[in-house]
Amino acid sequence: MIGEIAHFLSIASVMILTLVLIINIIFSFSSGHSNQLILSYKLFNQACFLIFLSFGIYIYLAITDDFSISYIANHSNSQLPIFYKITSIWSAHEGSMFLWIVFLTLWSILFVNYLSFEHPLKKGTMLMLTLIILGFLLFLLVTSNPFERILPFGVIEGADINPVLQDPALAIHPPLLYLGYVGFVISFSFITAYLFSGNLSYPWEKDIKNWSFVAWIFLTIGITLGSWWAYYELGWGGYWFWDPVENVALMPWLAATAFMHSLFASSKSNVLKAWTLFLGILIFALSLFGAFIVRSGIIDSVHSFANDPQRGLYLLGFSGFITFISLGIFAYRLPSMQSSKLIVTGSKESFLSMNNILMLTAIFSIFLGVTYPLILESLNGEKVSIGSPYYNTIFSPLILLTSIFIMISVEALWQRGMQAKTLFFAVAPTFLLAALALYLIWYFVEIFSLLAYVGIYSGLLIIISYFLKAALTIKNNSYLNKGSFVAHIGLGLLFFSVSMNSILSYQKNINLFPGDQQFINESIEEFNFLDLQNIKASNHDIVLAKILILQNGNSIYLNPEKRKYFARGQITSETAIHATPLKDTYLTIGDQLENGSWTFSLQINYFVKWIWFSSALMVLGILMTIFKKKIR
Amino acid sequence: MSSIYRFLIILLPLLVFIFYGKVLLTDRIDSSNYMQPKNLPQFELLDLNNQEIDIAAFDELSLLNVWASWCITCLVEHPYLTQLSEKEINLIGLNYKDSQENALKWLGKRGNPYTFSIFDPRGDLAFDLGVTGAPETFLILNQQVIGHIQGELNQEKWQSTFVPLIQAAKEASK
Repeated sequence: MIGEIAHFLSIASVMILTLVLIINIIFSFSSGHSNQLILSYKLFNQACFLIFLSFGIYIYLAITDDFSISYIANHSNSQLPIFYKITSIWSAHEGSMFLWIVFLTLWSILFVNYLSFEHPLKKGTMLMLTLIILGFLLFLLVTSNPFERILPFGVIEGADINPVLQDPALAIHPPLLYLGYVGFVISFSFITAYLFSGNLSYPWEKDIKNWSFVAWIFLTIGITLGSWWAYYELGWGGYWFWDPVENVALMPWLAATAFMHSLFASSKSNVLKAWTLFLGILIFALSLFGAFIVRSGIIDSVHSFANDPQRGLYLLGFSGFITFISLGIFAYRLPSMQSSKLIVTGSKESFLSMNNILMLTAIFSIFLGVTYPLILESLNGEKVSIGSPYYNTIFSPLILLTSIFIMISVEALWQRGMQAKTLFFAVAPTFLLAALALYLIWYFVEIFSLLAYVGIYSGLLIIISYFLKAALTIKNNSYLNKGSFVAHIGLGLLFFSVSMNSILSYQKNINLFPGDQQFINESIEEFNFLDLQNIKASNHDIVLAKILILQNGNSIYLNPEKRKYFARGQITSETAIHATPLKDTYLTIGDQLENGSWTFSLQINYFVKWIWFSSALMVLGILMTIFKKKIR
Repeated sequence: MSSIYRFLIILLPLLVFIFYGKVLLTDRIDSSNYMQPKNLPQFELLDLNNQEIDIAAFDELSLLNVWASWCITCLVEHPYLTQLSEKEINLIGLNYKDSQENALKWLGKRGNPYTFSIFDPRGDLAFDLGVTGAPETFLILNQQVIGHIQGELNQEKWQSTFVPLIQAAKEASK
């Protein structure tokens, strides 16, 4: 019964949202309609609240183990802790789509009520948001109903959450990622409303700047958490696999990053306006494309949900529909957007626009990587998979160029060209210092890889140029944009640590009997398989290996596990990680061979922690920008 | 100049849109699937007679055929499988989302070409293998999946897909 109430509430919400659209279409032909506007806003708010209420009840149903609801029966279990009963809601398609819509609604209601009643774009934005919420709510209820009952009798026990998802990082990874994804619905709807209004002199940037920054922060944290989870839970020792679903998250991230930079240029010097508007539309269009890729099952991935052409068609159709509304009006207004101002060569804007082009190139390359296997398959039925070699090769020159432009733009000024003298005195030392640092790295590690060295050099260029700039501003007591400083140091560190990780990390496969030991290399003098234990836990059996490693004279105890979950019979591997600032000693237990010995995979992963840290720095930098006092 | 941009801004997404629509609408279940050798997933299942399964059965060249008593196409390919099993190939069944009773009845009635059949009522192993439905057939050597056919296995598909793979595997082992 309670389930039906929740179901009914979301249907009621569909009706109210439809009503909002109808009212506004009818009254758009008459004038003097402030009552109609008040009514629309009230109805809109109510529809949003009904969706929240419906989701709240759904959480209650999950906590109270209502296994007569098919989705809960298939993805939860009465033995789960309450935390995982709640997170099981977003462990598969229907529930996660529901959460996606709840966040969409949350962003929408917050933004619509943030805009003052007199705001010229409030109505248009609300209508666009109404349309989008309505479309996805219908998608949920028609093609993937989370409220569906098992009739006439429910099951007594649920089928359990997938054990690899039973993890705190993964439990909060989807919500944060979704918050980021759908957060850009704000800029999308606002820009569409702005373009429809036709008043292109309105300073639209200020209204959505911070909203976009917050969405960017969620997206960044969401992606990083997913990567962190993959690193320690999947046991492959990697943190990024160029999996299609990672790619469709990276594309909006790149677009959002370009958008944020463009917003500065657009609001500060009124150039790159068309670029900024286009990027603002592109972010959410790419988010929708991502939702389509993941939820249609069109591409095989560790993330994808069951293949269902009906869902795919609906998502493609609806996403296409709202994207074309937005792009259509953009194309229509494009001629009147041409700024009379030209971008001064050598100014900050000129480098920003260069990097916009590079980011768009990166997005297009990823897009091609995701789509190319499908193109080839539809041409001649051949199946190919595009993996890291493609992306590494494409990205390394892009990263180098981007870094060079970032480095030069540190010294550049808004709206003014750059003097050859500045260029020489600021840029030349950075080039040389970075080259020197690169040489030192090569001298010590004695490994060479062109792609990795390009990455390291790019990272060093950014880091060194910003530190030089900071040193100079402290000396001259001049202004330094601290948020930008921290975020770009984060980016430089990211390039640096990813590349260092790729050349230094290595893996050893070990095969031992309990009680035996083995010499690995100079730094790991002994790998000691002390003991093997069988343990019973609440919903799984554990095989736990006790390992002692002598690494550079230190004794490290590692206890990797293998778990077998009762409800699904699934076997998972729990990695044991010993972390130092520079490197992780990463051990997973493999299979038992026929002769009774066990296999282990020992990985020494360098600079992994630095990757998470650099992400954190970027987020911190944007936070500082949001909370920066308006100095000028 | 800007009219070209306007045109492209609409045209490029439209092409993407049409392409993905076409991919969605075409039936992408193709008959052959060349693949990188993949380790056989771990599983803890019994066979249809409740006997434990020795993974070493997959050391030699084997066919793993996904079947079910409810599957009509399985009935169609059954004579050809019987014919294959009489040759040198080791044919193992994967009974998929079926009831033990119906499966045993089906084998009793039609004849049992399989060395043994893994009983996978919930489709656990089938999921890990990437099975989309019955019938499907996997070619396995040294506990590694080296080939895959979706749909009915017949003489034509056997010749065009599996025979080259088997020959390549034999040459590699020499």
